Amino acid sequence: MLRKKEFEKSDFLWRVSVAVTVVSGLFVVLVFTLLIVNYLQVQTADPINNLAIKELRDQYAAAPEQDAALAQRIRDLDLLTRRAFFTSQYHLRVGGILLLCGAVVFLISLKNMDRWRPEVPELKDRPPSEVEWLSYARSRQLITWTGVVLLAGGLLASYLTESVLASNTSGAPAGQTEAAATVATAEAPATAAATAEATGTATPPVPVATATDAPSWDAVLLNWPSLRGPGSLGVAHFTNAPTEWDVATGAGIKWKATIPKAGANSPVVWGNRLFLSGADSQTREVYCYDTETGDMVWQKALEAFPDSPVEPPDVTEETGYAAPTMVAHGEQVFAIYANGDVASFDFEGNLVWGRAIGMPENHYGHSSSLIAYDNLLYVQYDDSNDPRLMALDTATGKEVWAAKRKKISWSSPILAQTPMGPQVILCSEKDVDGYQALTGALAWTQECLDGEVAPSAAYANSIVFAANEYAMASAIRLSGTAEAVQSEIIWEFDELLPEVSSPVGDGERFYFGTVAGDLVCLNAETGETIYIEELGEGFYSSPVLVGDRIYVIDRDGTMFIVKAGPAFEVIASHSMGEPGFATPAYLDGRIYLRTPQNIYCIE
Amino acid sequence: MKRLSKAALLLLFLGLAASVYAIEIRFAPPDFQTDYTLPGERIPAPSAGFGAWDVLILFAALSTATWLVLKKRSRRGLFLLSIACMVYFGFWRKGCICPVGSLQNVAAAILIPGVGVSAVVVAFFVMPLIFSLFFGRVFCASVCPLGAIQELVAIRPIKISSSIERALGLGKYVYLGVAILGVGTGAGFFVCRYDPFVGLYRLGHSFNMLLAGGVILVLGIFIARPYCRFLCPYGVLLGWMSKFSKWHLDIAPQGKCVDCRLCESSCPYNAMDMPTPIHLMEKQDTGKKRTQRLVLLVPVITGIAAFAGYLLHEPLSRMHPTVQLSERVAAEDLKLIPEQILETEHFRAGSQTTEQLHAEALALRSQFKAGGALLGAFLGLVVSLKLVGLSVVRKRTVFEPHRETCFSCGRCYPYCPVEPEGTPNVAQERV
Amino acid sequence: MDESKKIGRRDFVRGAAAFALAGGTWAAVGTKAEGTVWQLDPNKCTQCGRCATHCVLNPSAVKCMNQFNICGYCDLCFAYLHPGSRERNTGAENLLCPTAAIERKFIEDPYYEYKINEDNCIGCAKCVEACLVFGNGSFYLQVRQDVCINCNECSIAKACPSNAWSKVPASKPYMFITGETPPGQK
Repeated sequence: MLRKKEFEKSDFLWRVSVAVTVVSGLFVVLVFTLLIVNYLQVQTADPINNLAIKELRDQYAAAPEQDAALAQRIRDLDLLTRRAFFTSQYHLRVGGILLLCGAVVFLISLKNMDRWRPEVPELKDRPPSEVEWLSYARSRQLITWTGVVLLAGGLLASYLTESVLASNTSGAPAGQTEAAATVATAEAPATAAATAEATGTATPPVPVATATDAPSWDAVLLNWPSLRGPGSLGVAHFTNAPTEWDVATGAGIKWKATIPKAGANSPVVWGNRLFLSGADSQTREVYCYDTETGDMVWQKALEAFPDSPVEPPDVTEETGYAAPTMVAHGEQVFAIYANGDVASFDFEGNLVWGRAIGMPENHYGHSSSLIAYDNLLYVQYDDSNDPRLMALDTATGKEVWAAKRKKISWSSPILAQTPMGPQVILCSEKDVDGYQALTGALAWTQECLDGEVAPSAAYANSIVFAANEYAMASAIRLSGTAEAVQSEIIWEFDELLPEVSSPVGDGERFYFGTVAGDLVCLNAETGETIYIEELGEGFYSSPVLVGDRIYVIDRDGTMFIVKAGPAFEVIASHSMGEPGFATPAYLDGRIYLRTPQNIYCIE
Repeated sequence: MKRLSKAALLLLFLGLAASVYAIEIRFAPPDFQTDYTLPGERIPAPSAGFGAWDVLILFAALSTATWLVLKKRSRRGLFLLSIACMVYFGFWRKGCICPVGSLQNVAAAILIPGVGVSAVVVAFFVMPLIFSLFFGRVFCASVCPLGAIQELVAIRPIKISSSIERALGLGKYVYLGVAILGVGTGAGFFVCRYDPFVGLYRLGHSFNMLLAGGVILVLGIFIARPYCRFLCPYGVLLGWMSKFSKWHLDIAPQGKCVDCRLCESSCPYNAMDMPTPIHLMEKQDTGKKRTQRLVLLVPVITGIAAFAGYLLHEPLSRMHPTVQLSERVAAEDLKLIPEQILETEHFRAGSQTTEQLHAEALALRSQFKAGGALLGAFLGLVVSLKLVGLSVVRKRTVFEPHRETCFSCGRCYPYCPVEPEGTPNVAQERV
Repeated sequence: MDESKKIGRRDFVRGAAAFALAGGTWAAVGTKAEGTVWQLDPNKCTQCGRCATHCVLNPSAVKCMNQFNICGYCDLCFAYLHPGSRERNTGAENLLCPTAAIERKFIEDPYYEYKINEDNCIGCAKCVEACLVFGNGSFYLQVRQDVCINCNECSIAKACPSNAWSKVPASKPYMFITGETPPGQK
């Protein structure tokens, strides 16, 4: 026997403990039962939805005249219900505390029972030597079996569960209602994905933007895929654009080529191919140039589709029939024209797909530029009856989803890689909206614009900057999570506003040019004016941030190179001798600059 | 803006309010003639959440527990500390956020871009792990509010076979994996949702969870700490740390141990390893071969499990509310289920289209493909490594606590006849 | 000698591991957010009534508030009076609130002030719905942060059918129906 203090015995204290244990145990059981009963009562005495009161009230309201007796009955019943509710609440609380106290006493006395008549520790002989070995062997078996059961359970579960999302491949039974039909068609991509899965092919599900052949964001950054560069943000990834050239002497001009048909669009470059589009009221064309030589590699005319609009759109002279800038994305290039015809070509000039979305209802024809991300091509479709953001599958041109918008606008979408995930940010004539790039879910919206909006938004460092004439310039800070993006207007500015040219941000400041020819620089965090300087003859083209310099070309065709930063300093300015309206492309030591008829490569 | 008159400002404000938000000002707020001033709404600040003060208390509790385990060797002290921690972290601070749950906040911050986590939560997550790395699972011993309440009710523990213990112990790895998958895909914080004891601390929760808590506690009188041993996901991490702890609870050292087996029989957690016999039970060769085979099987098992996890993406994805909603909406549209529930009703009234919802759900499901495969791989790896570990019996000459599973609760201390100083005085008085 | 060196190295590794654990977690979590609390966006709220029934607290930590600066102070307040009521008095047959948590006070002709007695309010949102349909929408639900115990996963947020709930920074713990403007100020 061991003689440690812990193992002393006391019969008297043991008996006391037993008594307390029994009493407190009974008490706990009693309180517990009462609590359950009370709980069920609370469930029934629901003051919010007391049917009896509701019935009386209906009677009271329906009675032809004031019924005092009925009113009194309602009062009584109401009082009763509320009293029952609040007393039950009180009872629940008190009961809970009582139960807790009872349980504590019960546990202490139970513990004391053991304490005062302890189980005498039995001394055993050394275990037979195989115990540990056998236990290990048994453990291995059991763990293996547990693993097998988990595996089998998992496989069985995956075999048995049939998702409705995937299972309606065959569609709903005949005679389905219209609603069901819409769903069935809407789910066509989904079901396609499901079938692919079922048959074991590796085709990725269409609406899920993870296609392996879609170019990565890193690849996009190394190119000039769309208006104002990657994501249409006005920020060049390469910072080594030339600062010195002379059109008159030809110094620094690598090549110059002519563009067959007019277009208000800007050049896009992918790899060693440069693309432009051109159109008039009847024809729509795409031009592909070699970036090394300036030779036109191919030129394709887009035939009208069966459902293309017969009448040419009514466009303004400045806008023209090919205002939207194309987008180059991986092995494909996409173009859209004023009449809503959209097409994709491969880099050899073969038509991959094309379709007529239809003539948008507005007074300028389709004019917003395209952007692409992952395997989605975004079309900001400015139809004033049904304004929407469409995401088309880059491979097929099929609509993956469409998000409703409130209003239309002249401006073009941008794609921002926010900490909350990629977002497509659009300006409309009322508001600025951020959509989740992959799903099209509206992530946030801020009503801060007005009038006809032409400039796109700028984005840098979680701040979106949107502005247009007749409204205000607003900086919107995005925060929160991908599921719940929060947006907040942190400052506004209305001294000068951009009319056509889009702003650009370097993270600390936002810059924009006005039609009057001012360059404005604002503090991104506070909205404080850093400078407003007169520069050039007015801007249609948008400023682009290239490293620590801002490049912007005015309407007279003078390219200004200004130092980015708090101090205004013009590094250089060069006249192109032709009007400037498009935004040039800035890639690895070169600038591709378009004028009405010509495209220049400056090195 | 200053130039605008107050009235115009108000109009502007109301106009803005009315157009940006759902509300519509149908009745202009009155222009009071009397000197009535608008009463300010009560906007109470948050009741102080866990702050620096709690980090200090946690640190103090962990230090005290360490001291009680390693220096004082006092079971009673640990027991009292459990009560104190249960009262403070449990009843007083309502059990939120605890280090067990903080696991998810940290995982969310790591896995989901844009999600942050406060320094206090990081401290709550890291501190017990670091203590565990040096001193063993002193956090489990008496600081954890979930552990404390179970430790207190474990009065009549019965021993279960150590092989069953090991097999059931896989549960916590499954829970850990699923919890992190849930966090990473945004499905929810399952560890908190299915926390069985927090309802008792708050005296209120859903009826089912209270019932589950009660059942686990009643069960815990006999099978000590069932949640900690078979479910606790944070325990997995603590176990990994404790495995390499520098100072750990120990019992009579070699030469002093009298082989009484009391520590082993007093441990309800099967956490006391016995000395191994001098002669091996099987030929060295057999053991070696088996171990080699098992090591070779590690990648195979991991691969199979990963594939199984991948196949499971569909049922797994149903953990996510968006997928649930999407399936429900699709089923309703196909008239497979008749009635609308509140969720689908609200969805249909909202601005998101069915296609967008389904696209989102399918995007989520493809996330679950990768997630499921990772979960499977993790579990496969755990199972196969456990098998390898169990294939070799380490040589031991004395009883020593199994560092990974020992909760450092000190239950064995009073039973050891050898005084900590090493004077085997009591042992000599054996009858 | 060798043994002690070995131990020294092990300690070093362990120290390094502890450091890496703390530092690694700290670095890996990236954004260091301030503390957050739960709140519901009144503009997304659809008054389903689950705030009253799904809170772990009983009664719920969600209460109604009346934002006075957009309140019309109407004599005939539909958040206060039941649609079937015949008189404008405090008789139970006339009141909409099932717990009589709205207190009406005469200010001047014809204006009445409506104040929520939070001890009685259970967050059922009946008045919110009525005010939104017939009035200015000055009644809306908010989590009372002094009552809320800020569960790591909020039971109501999980049950909310309209995704109105989110975690917000503890320094801005309310979502007023007029956006960031704290109510009570013109």
